Amino acid sequence: MLALDLFVNGLIIGLYYALMAVGLSMIFGILKVVNFAHGEFYMVGAYAYTLISLNLGVSPWLALPIAAAAGGAIGWLTERWLMRPLYTGYGSWGLMKDEYAVVVTFGLSLLLINLFDKVIGPYPMRGPALSDVTRMSIGPFMMSGHKLITAGLAIVLIVGLALFIKRSLWGRQIQAVAQNRLGASIAGIDTARASCIVFVASGVLAAIAGALLAPVINPAPDVGIFPAIKSYVIVVIGGMGSIPGSIVAALILGVLESFGAVYLSYDYRDTYGLVLLILILLFRPQGLFGERSREV
Amino acid sequence: MSPPKNPNLHSSKLANELILSLVVLGVLALLPAFVQSPYWLGVLIVSMYFAIMSSGWNLLAGYAGQFSLAPAAFAMLGGYSTGLFFYHLKAPLWIGLPMAIIIPGIIGLVLGRIVLRLSGAYLALTTLSFAEIMRLIIYNSIDFTRGDQGLNVPGLLDDRLAYYYIFLVSLAIVVGLVYWILRMPLGRFLQALRDDEIGAASRGVNVVRCKTIAFFVSCAICGFAGGLYGTFARLVSPELGLIAQTGLVIAMVVIGGMGTLVGPLIGALLVYTASEFLRDVGGIQMIVFSFLVIIFARYFREGLWGLVRRGFDRRGGRGPGGGQPPDGRSNLAAKRGA
Repeated sequence: MLALDLFVNGLIIGLYYALMAVGLSMIFGILKVVNFAHGEFYMVGAYAYTLISLNLGVSPWLALPIAAAAGGAIGWLTERWLMRPLYTGYGSWGLMKDEYAVVVTFGLSLLLINLFDKVIGPYPMRGPALSDVTRMSIGPFMMSGHKLITAGLAIVLIVGLALFIKRSLWGRQIQAVAQNRLGASIAGIDTARASCIVFVASGVLAAIAGALLAPVINPAPDVGIFPAIKSYVIVVIGGMGSIPGSIVAALILGVLESFGAVYLSYDYRDTYGLVLLILILLFRPQGLFGERSREV
Repeated sequence: MSPPKNPNLHSSKLANELILSLVVLGVLALLPAFVQSPYWLGVLIVSMYFAIMSSGWNLLAGYAGQFSLAPAAFAMLGGYSTGLFFYHLKAPLWIGLPMAIIIPGIIGLVLGRIVLRLSGAYLALTTLSFAEIMRLIIYNSIDFTRGDQGLNVPGLLDDRLAYYYIFLVSLAIVVGLVYWILRMPLGRFLQALRDDEIGAASRGVNVVRCKTIAFFVSCAICGFAGGLYGTFARLVSPELGLIAQTGLVIAMVVIGGMGTLVGPLIGALLVYTASEFLRDVGGIQMIVFSFLVIIFARYFREGLWGLVRRGFDRRGGRGPGGGQPPDGRSNLAAKRGA
């Protein structure tokens, strides 16, 4: 019974991880860079949701889309202001583009953390729940109403994103740019717009993940660091740039952690994922589900 | 300096930077005549600790192009090498301090061998994970390292002024070492493999050996900085290896000028002393620096030293004639251009 409970809880945690990791993976797919400020998109979402619903007295259901919009806006700004030089003539610069991306996203991460720390304060807050029902039973499982609703929302968002990428025109353009930026632009695809959409979408998803978890994680300025590191692990396991890979990897990691925290050492729980990350980067850099052909 | 020499040559660029580094070190040597308060001496000592670390990291990231995110972790390892030798074996500092160079150097060598084939985002992620694993291990193995309580380390001396000069001499040695490496063929090989690894290999550069040496030297310098800092603070703790510390080192190097000899010096001294002033203003130092890092990386890629040099080139009427007007610091350039 305990095992089944752990399994379901792990799957739900995995859904939140997937919301974070999918965005990171899409960004890597389209620009071949890691966004080190991804955890701060999540933090912004958690704060926007909590502050708006607590201070303005707005229903949490209304605060959720506002938080999503805040995440999208910050993703858009990041792309327009900081990522554009990656694909508009970086060749003449002293630094290479990988290093530029690491420096600016690392800087952005520090900037957002310290800005929120100064403006809002370092004290954790408590986000409101989407539902007042604290305990309900579904078959054999006991869970809170908030958890059930957020799990449902996360599934809807992930399925929606998958459909968007697979079926819509913009989604197909994004796939094309991820496969070959130059080829896509020759075929008449606006690569700048595709990058922009990816950043907005990943900002929205990370912010929603933060908002949905706000009652659990208690938003604080440094709350994004931990899920960001989890997302790096997931994206590497799933194959950098592969969206289905990162969804599957997120669910697996959620379940593994849920069991590991109970059956293995609790103190070293963060170390396992990082060791796994290094091992996979060294021996199977395309990830467990990634495609074998990689641009060198 | 003789005028016909091409100012864009690697060796003459490097010579210019060495002269400026010596000027900075000379100013630092005279500074205690004006700064008597132990507090500000302490601030300068810590800024020199960061200058040593920045110079070490700059050799790896700026010159060899291996963008590691673990410099603070190696400083922590250096501090703990000294601390653990003292704590468990009661080893005196003349054993403990060299260990702070050797052990991080060897760990860096191994890390360098492991990440040999990785670059860019992959390398950044691997070194970041390595740094976090090291910190978590030290933080959690309470029996061996006393966890977050930290370890007490004996001091070299009690006199703060003497410590100031110990740090200054160490900084001078590190700058000299980096200069010496850059003057060697190895220095040019490192820059060649930064600019084009395959191209460098095709011209006969032993990429594996060069990268490994760069990792060894850089990590040993960072470890040395950590060991020395531990004896000054009399305490080493896992906080030395926080990611934020790495962020500070990156900020210093990017603001000062990445891939230049003098950039990390200027960056570390300016950023750390400025952060003491900004702390009085209201603890906004990290906001200002992270913003500056983005601005510098986005618009002034060559850092402060690059701006100075561009202003200098303009005055001399040579060089490519950069688009940036000389900034307020051009009096420095004028001094050298006369």
